[in-house]
Amino acid sequence: MARAWDVHGLRRDARFRDAAGRVILTRWREMMSFRDGTLRGEDIEELHAMRVSSRRLRAAMDAFAPAFPPKSFRRHLRVVKEVTDTLGDARDLDVSIEGLERLLPQMTPDERPGIEGLIERYREERRAEDAHIHALFARLEEEGFAAAFERWIRSHTGVDVARLAPSPPEGD
Amino acid sequence: MAKPRPVRGVKPGARLAPNARRILAVRIDEVFEHDRAVRDPAHVTELHDTRICFKRLRYLLEIFGIAFRADLEPFLEEVKAMQDLLGDIHDRDVQVPMLEEHLRWLEDREADAMQAVVAGAAARRRRAGPPVDEEAAFRRFRARLDGARRGDERPGVLALIARRRRERDELYARFLVEWEGLHESRFRERLEAAVGIRR
Repeated sequence: MARAWDVHGLRRDARFRDAAGRVILTRWREMMSFRDGTLRGEDIEELHAMRVSSRRLRAAMDAFAPAFPPKSFRRHLRVVKEVTDTLGDARDLDVSIEGLERLLPQMTPDERPGIEGLIERYREERRAEDAHIHALFARLEEEGFAAAFERWIRSHTGVDVARLAPSPPEGD
Repeated sequence: MAKPRPVRGVKPGARLAPNARRILAVRIDEVFEHDRAVRDPAHVTELHDTRICFKRLRYLLEIFGIAFRADLEPFLEEVKAMQDLLGDIHDRDVQVPMLEEHLRWLEDREADAMQAVVAGAAARRRRAGPPVDEEAAFRRFRARLDGARRGDERPGVLALIARRRRERDELYARFLVEWEGLHESRFRERLEAAVGIRR
């Protein structure tokens, strides 16, 4: 699993609002760093890493919810949740297919056709998920969501993403 | 899914630690909210909700850990172990109905395919009249019918359902032991003391 990015400048005596901006923006950039790899679809671990990061982001948003106006918070959280859920559907199928493939040698010959049929069905469903993922990111791109999200965080926490400069841990 | 309870009294302009303490107090409480219900293996929803509560608590400990002097890493490990165990139980609770649905899907596909074979045979008969060799025609019809059957896929799916149910029983038995262990080791009291929550 991809390591969580360190949050720059986060100190024990931080203000809640400042911590909110730093943690959320770091998790946001961390999640988006896996977008291109997820869209290429060559390595299922990229999608997995993006989903894990999206869950970290959601958790951070939940934790720091009181720093934001409820209405706009719900609107932004809904989009992040959409990312997690869309990636989750694909990831669940990846995990199921891998699990069944591992299980196959342990099954008796008369049980194997059923498992092979199930794997085939999940593979078909998985191919359909790729289209949902591409459509979601195309829509977010069109809406300019990334820039809007970063502006929204800055306006309520005072933390600017360019100055924070989130980056992956060394060695990743 | 259980919605997190609202946390009152958080002051965004104040320091992280006192706010984190308020939030953690509520989230720790939520973990033990279904203490009685989760002792019954049939309470699938409460088990799932408890998993979500552990997950929220885990992320909060990771996020707010910096605000406290105490080392929260051992608590994180305990929380993660419970989250993983409940996650494995939840996977089985989701997989079994999905596999049962797959069985129904196989039956529907089989019914559709057989209907197509019968309709095809009837159409041919209407077009060309009764076949000269009825027996050969019946053999062909039967071969097409057998080809449309998905019966050979069922034993594997049924075996998988049985396996997942068995695993679920084993995982739940382990969960009960771990859950009791949390109480016996006074997990809640230890964690609350570590982050300075006074009840």
